[in-house]
Amino acid sequence: MALLLSGFLILAGVYGLRSVSQYGGRWFSYAANPRLAALKQQVTPGDITDRSGLLLAAAGTEGRTYAEDPAIRKAMVHVVGDPGNMVANAVETFHAGYLYGYSSSLLDALTHLMKPEEPRRGNQITLTVDAGLSKAIPEAFDAHPLTRGKNGAAVVLNYRTGEVLALISLPSFDPAEEADLSALDHPYFNRATQALLPPGSTFKIVTTAAALNLLKDAQTRHFVCTGALPVTESFTVRDFGGTAHGSLTLRKAFLRSCNSVYASLALEMGDTALRREAERFGFNRNFLFRDLVVYNSAYPKDGQSNEALAASGYGQSALTVTPMHLCLLSAAVAREGVLPEPRLLLRVASSAGTPVLRFSAADAGRVCTPEIASALSDMMKATVQEGGSGASAGVSGMDIRGKTGTAVSSAEGRTVSYGWFTGFNAQAEMPVALCVLVEDIPDGETGGSTSALIAHDIFDYLNTHPEPVSNP
Amino acid sequence: MSKSKRTPGRRLSAAVMLFYFLGFLLLALRDMDRLGMILAVAVPVIIFLGTSLLPHLFPADRLLLSLTNFLCALGVLLLYDTRPAYARQQVIAYGIGVLCMIVCIYAVRIVRRWERWIPLLMLGGLGLLALPLLLGQEINGARNWVSIGSLSFQPSEAVKLALVLVLAFCFARRRPLPGLVFLAGCLGLLMLQKDLGTGLLYFTTGLLLFWAASGSLPLTLAGLAAGAGAAVYGYRHFAHVRRRVSIWLNPWADYENAGYQLIQGLMAIASGGFFGTGLGLGSPTSIPVYESDFIFAVLCEQFGLIFGICVLLMYMALILRGAFIAMQARRGIHGLVAMGATALLGVQTFVIIGGVLKLIPLTGVTMPFVSYGGTSLISAMCLVGLIQGVESLNEDDLREEAHLARLEK
Repeated sequence: MALLLSGFLILAGVYGLRSVSQYGGRWFSYAANPRLAALKQQVTPGDITDRSGLLLAAAGTEGRTYAEDPAIRKAMVHVVGDPGNMVANAVETFHAGYLYGYSSSLLDALTHLMKPEEPRRGNQITLTVDAGLSKAIPEAFDAHPLTRGKNGAAVVLNYRTGEVLALISLPSFDPAEEADLSALDHPYFNRATQALLPPGSTFKIVTTAAALNLLKDAQTRHFVCTGALPVTESFTVRDFGGTAHGSLTLRKAFLRSCNSVYASLALEMGDTALRREAERFGFNRNFLFRDLVVYNSAYPKDGQSNEALAASGYGQSALTVTPMHLCLLSAAVAREGVLPEPRLLLRVASSAGTPVLRFSAADAGRVCTPEIASALSDMMKATVQEGGSGASAGVSGMDIRGKTGTAVSSAEGRTVSYGWFTGFNAQAEMPVALCVLVEDIPDGETGGSTSALIAHDIFDYLNTHPEPVSNP
Repeated sequence: MSKSKRTPGRRLSAAVMLFYFLGFLLLALRDMDRLGMILAVAVPVIIFLGTSLLPHLFPADRLLLSLTNFLCALGVLLLYDTRPAYARQQVIAYGIGVLCMIVCIYAVRIVRRWERWIPLLMLGGLGLLALPLLLGQEINGARNWVSIGSLSFQPSEAVKLALVLVLAFCFARRRPLPGLVFLAGCLGLLMLQKDLGTGLLYFTTGLLLFWAASGSLPLTLAGLAAGAGAAVYGYRHFAHVRRRVSIWLNPWADYENAGYQLIQGLMAIASGGFFGTGLGLGSPTSIPVYESDFIFAVLCEQFGLIFGICVLLMYMALILRGAFIAMQARRGIHGLVAMGATALLGVQTFVIIGGVLKLIPLTGVTMPFVSYGGTSLISAMCLVGLIQGVESLNEDDLREEAHLARLEK
């Protein structure tokens, strides 16, 4: 009995340790923490710069001042934050512990004890993001007639290290100006990490991995697509535009993004098997990344009807995903099946220059075997480079691979289409993965005709400006 | 006992006394406060009396004494830091607690015919528990306090002693029924007061003691199932039970009202980190009821989570020591008394610390020895007194046997 009670106390201790090491930072930076408010009265917050040292936010005479270039201010606001703290979990709020020096080094604390009359300054944060690249992405949205003025999001990361190079959410706003934002659709909302949307055909990456994992003849089998696959009397899976793809292999079905084949694969494998595979890829997982908050993607847990299961095969049911998670999936394929942990802080140093935190890359778990990752990579290559649905993302001189998606969701009584593109460059000297989301694309358009264009521009920018990747 | 064997115990006491002397001195110098200076002397003196002088009166367990005194003094220190007026009351309760502990040790040593006292304890216990319903007032959602004039106290704390003694007596006599009826009566009265935490405490203690006495796992599990059934019934039918559970599951859903306390506690623990902000720093007073239920969060913020875990280990040592003493006891009732007191303290510790850490739903009980509250501190000291009394009898028996063994030679 005494052992039982002792066991409970040990359990409490272990639980306490675990929760503080996992959630401690989040709990601390929660806005309702009175210690934070007290610190803000006493401490001048530190500066935030991008990876090249460009000033993104600094302490001014009255509150915060932001980057000089208004385009950079607008592009970075969801990463950096705004004076009113309206953007949730931006660096200014989520990393307030560093900025206000709560988690500063022992040396600094001692220095402050010696010289209490000197004003306290918080730590300087250097982010992994690149201001130039961030600025180029909204410009790319404006460069194409189909995406001009559209809402959306983009995530770019170095898949070797997990460094987030750009994190864009549109519509955006200028934190340095007080303007009327009521005409914009949720400008404070960070779509890149918080928008939970159906993944559409990009989910075929997961379905393919499941098929390669579970069905022995998946790579040799021939499927027949008539353009429509009746699942029940009232529900028939239709391919985009009603195209019949004829007889085709899994690889062809992937690069043409054939819905009927994927619906039949999902039905063949069953809900539990598909859910397990999705969970391996990070669905239903509580993302607890150290540097940034990413909302949790979901695969329905309580079993689905055959209709919903068939639709899940091509990412069109109650499935939801964030742009960041889709970017991580491409990164995992590029890294032979291992998810990188996305990192946003390159360096944290005290005002005197003592390092408080140095960048360290970390893995966030394996999603599939290296063999399956290589097969997926090959199919994603065909999608872009062999005339598949993502052809417009290709850049000459680079080895771009990816997957498009066109997801449909009904919001406020009207059907909205979302264009997706997720992919990566397979060259070792430019290890970049990205995901682009364009909201409310016109009828008849696809991820391949919208988001893939933006992806092309991002890859092209990095091809001519490789500094964010080549300069560690 | 040879001199060399005593030294580690003495060193421990000396270290504990020095710790508190410095702690109070630090806080007193910060505020230039007279009370702090007095406490800096008074608390080490009480610790000295409690750990070094007491074993001269009768054989007592030094480890248990050191742990108890350390925890009590820790409570006074934390209260002095956050609210000096509470510390003044707490240190008085601490002094009285030491005296009550001695009384309980004597009671266990002297009383041979428990059957005379048990009916009195049962009636007195039920009577005390019924008091708050008649003339109590509601504090923090539960009607479990009684105020007479300027004196206010929590009867359920005093009844803990009666519960342990009654159950131990009935189970030792192999007539569990009266004890179980008494337990059921107590539980009923507690539920009427909406005092879920204490109810949980009484029930679990009764169950553990029944298990220890009967050794019958099936019957104990049946009791556990009945308790679980009652919990499910409570969840279905009482809004305040559902509220507690929903706060536990997701305190962030309503962080400005229902979840506020729990979240402030978690924030305090997170803000302290592993090594704490330091004594006198941080802002633990932002947690509602920081002085009693959430004192563990205060402790973690100021001294760090590592220290919090050490405190947990101290409670664990206390439980293991108590159980060891119970198993060494010669008479059934003594063993069960020590076991019951140990179980009660252990369960209470787990219920409150688990609640503060969001491991289990939060129910309002105090953290033994540390939390603010005279009745709670004194009753915990009395429970330790019961364990010590049994230990002193064990020692007496051992000495007698050694004496007899020498005579036989």
